[in-house]
Amino acid sequence: MELTVDQRWDLVERISKETVEVGKYEPSLKDALADVTVRPATGIPFAIAVIYGFWAFFCEFAGTLFTDGFFCKIFDGYWLPWLQGVFAGAPAWVFNIFVGDPLADNCFEAFGVLSSGIFVAIGVVLPAIVAFYLIFAILEDVGYMPRLAVLVDTLLHKIGLHGYAIVPTILSLGCNVPGVTATRSLETRKQRFLAITLLGVFVPCGAQIGIMEGMIPGLIGWVFLALAIGYFGIGWIINKIVPGESPEILMDVPPYQMPTARNIWMKLWTRTSKFLTVAVPFVLLGCVIVAVLYITGAMDAIASGLSPVITGVFGLPQDTAAAMIAGFLRKDLAVGTIGMLAAGGMTITVFQVFTAVVLLSIYFPCLATFALMIKELNWKEILGTLATLIVMVFVYGAILHLIGLSGIGSSPWVPLE
Amino acid sequence: MSNRAAKFGSIYFGIFGAIVLIFGIAGFVVMGAYGTEGVTWGPLEMSGMFFVWRAIILVSAGAMYLSSVCNFGDTRQLAKSVAASIMIWIVAGMWIWAGIAGSIPGGEEGGWFFPSAEELVGLWTAIPPAVFLALLSLAIIYPIRSRRKTA
Repeated sequence: MELTVDQRWDLVERISKETVEVGKYEPSLKDALADVTVRPATGIPFAIAVIYGFWAFFCEFAGTLFTDGFFCKIFDGYWLPWLQGVFAGAPAWVFNIFVGDPLADNCFEAFGVLSSGIFVAIGVVLPAIVAFYLIFAILEDVGYMPRLAVLVDTLLHKIGLHGYAIVPTILSLGCNVPGVTATRSLETRKQRFLAITLLGVFVPCGAQIGIMEGMIPGLIGWVFLALAIGYFGIGWIINKIVPGESPEILMDVPPYQMPTARNIWMKLWTRTSKFLTVAVPFVLLGCVIVAVLYITGAMDAIASGLSPVITGVFGLPQDTAAAMIAGFLRKDLAVGTIGMLAAGGMTITVFQVFTAVVLLSIYFPCLATFALMIKELNWKEILGTLATLIVMVFVYGAILHLIGLSGIGSSPWVPLE
Repeated sequence: MSNRAAKFGSIYFGIFGAIVLIFGIAGFVVMGAYGTEGVTWGPLEMSGMFFVWRAIILVSAGAMYLSSVCNFGDTRQLAKSVAASIMIWIVAGMWIWAGIAGSIPGGEEGGWFFPSAEELVGLWTAIPPAVFLALLSLAIIYPIRSRRKTA
């Protein structure tokens, strides 16, 4: 006789009730603390404090200390002038692809493979990813992550996942590549498809978050709220539509313990090296394609062809069309380009910036993530993921356009210096 | 835990929990009145981008302290106060970390290492309530040590 997963769990529960005797015991402070952090009344506020700490550390480590404090100075003051000198005698198209705009005085605006490409990969994303995975590894080693998984288990069951799906989701906030890989820990194909689709569409990576944090700090909370609504709303719908099982799992929740430097270093290195070896080549490839599209004039042609959708359906200014298209290849630079266009005189409202950033987040996973998705999913699932994101872009774009028409956030957006 | 430590914990964290709760609520009031610009009152500062989150954490921590004061000698109750203290330490610790991270390099346009002493002092003139509260919350060490001795 073959039992279903639920029947098996019922059987386990019946046997344990009949055979296990629970005596009275005095918990240690560690046990009691473990209990406090998984009970919703005290565990949710504690989780908010932990996530606040996570986020505050991330912003200060990646943004303030490394990117603004060191890398901007190194790349803008030394690297870009050096590149401009070395490539000074090269043909214009070579200069444009490798160094970018000859008049640019900073790597972010240059758009060359060796200027913007290297700066974004090393100067912006790498510190963000190191900060992110450092804290993540500490929380895992301390024993907090399994407790967070228990805490969100009920919520994630509503969308066909179980609590441990929080791990690939949070990993994806650093880089989607290790996030997609981490979905291998989920039990069924349905759960893996669900998790990969949701994190590929609704979870922005560290690169994007880093640039959003610098460009639209006041709107970032709203962007996350819009993405969270999509994550749970669409997750719930996909769970209803897609056939397959979403079984319960028995999770090992280890006691709290002191983290060890060796473990943290190993985890940090494994995950960061995945970004360096898998994602960075795609970041550079994206730069090459964007540069070629601009040089050949193909970008303008595509932008003018798609501008009815950009302006008519999404309600964005026509000038953002090229940035939105570049977002297929480089989401982070696309977000930054909108800031540069506004700084250069384009009129765009606060709500339009919000709309553009939300759409850039959901409308295509980065190239590296997409390549990994092809490896992890079969062609039917890939088509399902693509269909989800295409529908989502139009649904989100149209809804946000309609909300924008009510006049909300209609003041002109002024980019931060 | 000794009776003395339990009694101390009940009284101290009852009063302290109320103070933490008041500061959390004050955070919401200031947020409503002044937005993220907030206010500076003497050495106290209530402002910043994550201001509202800090207020939520302080309100929750205050409520957790207050809910732990009945039967403070029980380990489960003590654990609530320890968790509340950790929450305050996270908020205070991140403020201190932000000050350190901001002062190591001199910003995008500044020098390479360490701003001038005046600038450095300027970073620390106004302090959020969580930093003061974190110092006062260190009293949690006494009941923890007392429990360890009697265990």
